[in-house]
Amino acid sequence: MMKNRLKEVIESLIFISLEPLTLEKIKNVLQEYPEEQVEQAIKELLESYLTNERGIQLLQSAGGYLFSTSPEHDLWIRRLFKLERKAKLSPAALEALSAIAYHQPATLAEISATRGVDSSHTLKTLLQKKLIKIVGRKKSPGSPLIYRTTDKFLVYFGLTDIKDLPSPEEISKILEEEKYLEEDESSVH
Amino acid sequence: MDASAIYQVRLEAFEGPLDLLLFLIRKRKIDINDIPMATITREYLEYLNHKERINLDREAEFLLIASFLIYIKSQMLLPREKALDEEKDPRQILVDQLLDYQKIKAASLLLRKKEEDELQKWKRTALPSLFQEEETDFMEVSLFDLAESFFSLMRKKEEKKTRTIKRKEFSLEEKMKEIMAVLKESSFLDFLDYFSQQESFEEALVSFFSLLELIKSRIVIAIQKGPFQPIKVRLSQEAHLKRK
Repeated sequence: MMKNRLKEVIESLIFISLEPLTLEKIKNVLQEYPEEQVEQAIKELLESYLTNERGIQLLQSAGGYLFSTSPEHDLWIRRLFKLERKAKLSPAALEALSAIAYHQPATLAEISATRGVDSSHTLKTLLQKKLIKIVGRKKSPGSPLIYRTTDKFLVYFGLTDIKDLPSPEEISKILEEEKYLEEDESSVH
Repeated sequence: MDASAIYQVRLEAFEGPLDLLLFLIRKRKIDINDIPMATITREYLEYLNHKERINLDREAEFLLIASFLIYIKSQMLLPREKALDEEKDPRQILVDQLLDYQKIKAASLLLRKKEEDELQKWKRTALPSLFQEEETDFMEVSLFDLAESFFSLMRKKEEKKTRTIKRKEFSLEEKMKEIMAVLKESSFLDFLDYFSQQESFEEALVSFFSLLELIKSRIVIAIQKGPFQPIKVRLSQEAHLKRK
């Protein structure tokens, strides 16, 4: 098989996978090829998706590769599926999810304490949506369940890795902006 | 700032007591590391008094933080042997909690932005496979409902006075094989249809027990779209996976 063929094989593998396809899995399937050659082919594939005019994008998410439609085509895809809009998470769910993401592994009590609000119902919703999972029990009184975010969580927010979460710098930046906005508002009054 | 300006924002608009506290701190441009407890506690309590509706669950959470604020204030009023700055500031726990909450809330706003961006990109991961979709549409039928449907059907049959002429022996094993054969032919089996076809009460009873046995060992499941909807029997997801 020629080298440019390898690129096409990888394209098919990613296309047929329902979950982000990891580099490891690609290498396993293409075990007869040197790793550098496989990596080079992936690189070229990514580049070809960046330059060509296509309705499909090749993304890296949750530690793997996956295809998505271009964001500009959202309107027509929703028309195809007869959907007004995609449901967003509620503010409470998003807040709880953010608490878990930054404090994980976390228990219900810890999440509720962070938010100052009982979060048991919210956690149930997040579990159903498979954005979080139970990873065990904590060795403390009552042995409460421990929660973590899932790969689906990463894909949902388009994160490659859990380290990809908004950084402390980004967070302080948004807090500064908020302060600035408020001062602006009060000067008007 | 006059009082009416403060009450423009309703309690319901806040995610929780910490959200309200942060709002009050920002509104007054207070340094989060040096919170004037008396002022902030008073304003916080005023908010609680102006609530529009009573929601016990929510209220308890707001009151919990209110009592915490009062507790901190009382700690600060107590005479101390050592100066306050040498000891741990009683406000420290509250400040830590507020800073942490502030961070989580800001992060959730950033995640919201990412969510909005990602929702525009359609991925195959987001599309449920047809099998899963069907599963969530239906609910599993309880043993009680199954038994009730079965016996009401049998009573109806009895009223029709069907007579058994032939006498056959039926075994659980045979019937289980028969049900599985039907399920392999067509993807599901209609509960009422299937039992109406049974020739005698005895046969129907054996079939019913066979079905229960199959459900018990999670080989098949009985589902319906909602109460009083037709009950259908089909292979369970586990059985499907095994066959693949």
